[in-house]
Amino acid sequence: MIGTLRSELLKLRSTRTTLLLFVTMVALVALVVAMHVLAPSAASLATRSMQLRVFQVGSGIGMLFAGLVGAISITAELRYGTIRPTFLVSPRRGPVIAAKLVVGLLTGIIFGLLSQGIMAAAATAAFSARGVVNTLGTGDYVQILLGGAAAAPLWSAIGLGIGAVVRNQIGAIVGLCAWALLVESIVVGFVPSFGRFLPGASGLALAGLNDNGKLLGPAAGVLVLAGYAVITAAAGWAMTVRRDVA
Amino acid sequence: MNPAKESDVQQPTYAISEPVESPPDDQAAVSCRELTKQYGEVVAVDGVTFSLRRGTVTGFLGPNGAGKTTTLRLLLGLAEPTGGEALVFGHRYRELVEPIRRVGAVLESTDFHPSRSGRDHLRTLALGAGLPLSRVEEVLTQVGLGTAADRRVKTYSLGMRQRLGLAASLLGDPELLVLDEPANGLDPAGVHWLRGFLQTLAAQGRTVLISSHLLAEVAQTVDQILIIDHGRLLASGRLDDIAANGRTLEDVYLELTSGDES
Repeated sequence: MIGTLRSELLKLRSTRTTLLLFVTMVALVALVVAMHVLAPSAASLATRSMQLRVFQVGSGIGMLFAGLVGAISITAELRYGTIRPTFLVSPRRGPVIAAKLVVGLLTGIIFGLLSQGIMAAAATAAFSARGVVNTLGTGDYVQILLGGAAAAPLWSAIGLGIGAVVRNQIGAIVGLCAWALLVESIVVGFVPSFGRFLPGASGLALAGLNDNGKLLGPAAGVLVLAGYAVITAAAGWAMTVRRDVA
Repeated sequence: MNPAKESDVQQPTYAISEPVESPPDDQAAVSCRELTKQYGEVVAVDGVTFSLRRGTVTGFLGPNGAGKTTTLRLLLGLAEPTGGEALVFGHRYRELVEPIRRVGAVLESTDFHPSRSGRDHLRTLALGAGLPLSRVEEVLTQVGLGTAADRRVKTYSLGMRQRLGLAASLLGDPELLVLDEPANGLDPAGVHWLRGFLQTLAAQGRTVLISSHLLAEVAQTVDQILIIDHGRLLASGRLDDIAANGRTLEDVYLELTSGDES
């Protein structure tokens, strides 16, 4: 099992994909924070709800990219055929999925912490530059950092499960992006009573965002999100163990 | 009368004087018994039974789509049989404790991440198998890829990819090698290298099962053959017995599989 874990860590480090994802994530976080800080008037930016909203966009990006890391960890093997040598070396497939899950969780924590940290620092600096009084306290910052660091790895598990079920790399990536960037915000916007139970919204709740009471509390958020992670990862595991490798 | 039906009932007329024997399971490197794989309506492998003694070099012949690759995937635990069984060293592949130390396989020449280096590809496999990383350097030398090992695989020629696949199959210093079309796409120099390589493996007493449709190439390397078409085993036996009485391996192969090459 340790060997399988080390193998998965090396797979993650030995291509440029992870670095590319990380750089893209940082650039996107910086971009959306800048847009949300520069666009609104100073008066609207002074409200606590608006300031929290600035953090919402960045949190979603961290979760999405952690999800992509999880999805790519399995779909890249299917796409390039390395799944065959992988399963020849480790014919018991359960431990391979478990190792991918662990590596994805670790990467998710790092992605979550860094994207939230960059976002919080950029937003704080931008508020200060525009002369807006920062209403967020230490507790808010802790929740933004730790909540984001908890939500991202759970999204990585969801991504792994989706990837293992969908199997097509482009399909999984496009699906996750469309879901996180488009579908959820529409559902949350129009049917918040339902939308707040979706994985993106519960992840944002975990990072301390409230969206004028539309979202769940952090405790409920972590439970709902963990539920999605367990269900999707289990589905991916079951599919991988049972299906033939082409 | 439907000519396709006629070929369907063709029996293995070349399972002759000394067929590929059926040694006791614990002595066989490979044994398939009534192995069957069905995908919906399509029967890819249809009741295939054979077994290979240790130390033999066997050519697995048949047209494209005959069921060779499916048989090998069933043997290696990548797919589950619909019926029958396929065993390596008397066990299902998935039940072997450290399969990579007993069986090495190359199934596709393209099973690499294009932006991972050859060395890192081998390292991920060695780590997963619990093998020392020094084995990676040894097999790189063995296949002559040492100088290119740090380049990304996308820069490799097809011949280099075949060598990298072979290097991966040798990581565990296995007793049995299963190679699916290892000569595909190789230039003459590559084929020459591969022939010498296979002969070295055979001389070391390893068991080799090699699928191919390069008959002349196979005839130079193997000592027994299996011919499969439409998922059915049509002939099995020693090469000397099958290609006898003035008939070449090609004559026998074309007769058995006639009308299938499209």
